[in-house]
Amino acid sequence: MLSFSAKNIEENQNNISEIIQVENLKKKYNNTIAIDGISFSVKRGEVFGFLGPNGAGKTTTINILCTLVLPDSGLAYVNGYHVANESDSVRKSIGLVFQETILDNHLTAEENLYLYAMLYGISKKDFVIRKRELLKLCELWNKRKMKVETFSGGMKRRLELVRALIHWPQILFLDEPTVGLDPQTRKKIWDYIFTIRRKKDTTVFLTTQYLNEAEKCDRIAIIDDGKIVAVDTPENLKRMIGGDIIIFKTENNKQAEKEFRKKFPKYPIKWIGKELRIEVDNGDKFLPILVKAINQHITSMQLRQPTLEDVFLEITGRKIREETNGELEKEENNGFDISSFFTLFNLQKEEENKKQKKQ
Amino acid sequence: MRKKLQALYVIWYREVLIYLRNSLKFFTSIFLPLLILIFFGTGLKTIFPTSVLHYDFAQFFFPGILALSVSVMAISSTMSIVWDREFGFLKEILVSPISRSYIVLGKILGATTTAILQGALILLTMPYLGINFNIPSFIKIILVIFLIGYGMASLGILFASRLKKMESFSILSQIIIAPMAFLSGAFFPIKNAPYWMITVAHYNPLTYSVDALRWVILSNSLSNEEILLMTTHSLPICLLFLLVFNIVITLLSVKMFKKLS
Repeated sequence: MLSFSAKNIEENQNNISEIIQVENLKKKYNNTIAIDGISFSVKRGEVFGFLGPNGAGKTTTINILCTLVLPDSGLAYVNGYHVANESDSVRKSIGLVFQETILDNHLTAEENLYLYAMLYGISKKDFVIRKRELLKLCELWNKRKMKVETFSGGMKRRLELVRALIHWPQILFLDEPTVGLDPQTRKKIWDYIFTIRRKKDTTVFLTTQYLNEAEKCDRIAIIDDGKIVAVDTPENLKRMIGGDIIIFKTENNKQAEKEFRKKFPKYPIKWIGKELRIEVDNGDKFLPILVKAINQHITSMQLRQPTLEDVFLEITGRKIREETNGELEKEENNGFDISSFFTLFNLQKEEENKKQKKQ
Repeated sequence: MRKKLQALYVIWYREVLIYLRNSLKFFTSIFLPLLILIFFGTGLKTIFPTSVLHYDFAQFFFPGILALSVSVMAISSTMSIVWDREFGFLKEILVSPISRSYIVLGKILGATTTAILQGALILLTMPYLGINFNIPSFIKIILVIFLIGYGMASLGILFASRLKKMESFSILSQIIIAPMAFLSGAFFPIKNAPYWMITVAHYNPLTYSVDALRWVILSNSLSNEEILLMTTHSLPICLLFLLVFNIVITLLSVKMFKKLS
């Protein structure tokens, strides 16, 4: 299935224009560089993933593409419009789901959607049709009259997804859409994303720090420290690692290693604990050859494909979830704000607010 | 144009809907002014008997309290912008294709509406306080409340565009709103105050708000000379000042709000 989608993309490349184009984009907050000259493009109709650890610049990139933040330098076009000069046209073509849940808790699901649809100037007739279709798609139709404060995290996310789609945007931006959700809900959200893509031909741009989710994208960009270190399909990225990984164990590993080095000098072999690890181009074909070539008695053998974790490790030299150093992507602090003085006396209050926010 | 008005309407609608839905906020917003009017008004009345004052103390007190509570209501309503920003809803509005000036206008009108609703409810206590009123004067009063609420709401937006946290609002109300309220003439006639106070009060929009409300509310109950005793400015001057103030502050707040994003 994965190779099929890759093929699809190659076909699309020929006849579909690039819906997002970013050229040497830079953004600095005070003294921290959030993004440092990134360039990439997203093709119409694809699911494009932005993979990177916390504070790598993912949210900043989304904020720039959504016209919420102006870049310091560089070019960014969304749906053919310049993000700074034609922001209104950009805003019309995009739908957004932010990292944090943003809904009016006092209002019902339906009212939340209605207010949002009105912002986009959707007529009442269209709204009724779309509301029904999207709420049914995301399995919220029966809950539409309920107040949002009674919703679970997953339901809120789904409602946000519906809201982001109510004006039929060409591009759907999702900033960490599944963060904080349980695996089952996460899977459902992904099902909805793919259903929407199939039905509406919507381009999806999303950020994630989950490797198994990035795997589902048509193409991914790996971003680290404000720079894009790789852009490709997940399969191609994994191919960079050099095919498959075979891990095996024999009764005499040392002898086996010697034999291996003699017979297959071009493949690297490494000790992983009490096992031997080799990287080969074509694992399933190499397995029988390996079995014949090694004279030692093989006690166990395992063939596995490289994961994106291996790729990330290879490119950046560290694991993606290794560091969790706060958030680089803070709001811009423009000038004077009394609150900074005031917060000194109000730490407790702030904590309470945070608690409320979490709930 | 239809789409723009629709967007303006939705921002306004959201503001009013949230005010009405949040029954606690709705209740507390009229509870305090009523409390002040009934207890303070009735209590202070006994210190200033009509023989000293030429008029009933409640008549002096009521327009002032009305003006203040409407103003505070309008300002605190617009603080929802700070709230929205903290919780992110503002982002949803900011990425929608509505021009910033319509967002500001919608917010101002929403806050003004909540202020008018509150003002109208407080007006219902007038018969109890011995103030005569009829339908035409009621309409005039509501119009003046609109002017006051609108100006204060715009002022609120101006502040809200600069505030990052909800807590900042309490400091704001202490440094700016409280002095404005004390110098407005709501609690004592500014006319007899020391010279420096009168000078400061000249630049205080709330002075004009309180005076304007006194003229329209008391016109049925007292003679012009009696009203003149407790006001500093005449009605046309008050209205003119409020109008100019509203226009200037609206323009400023739109400018500030655009900077915010």
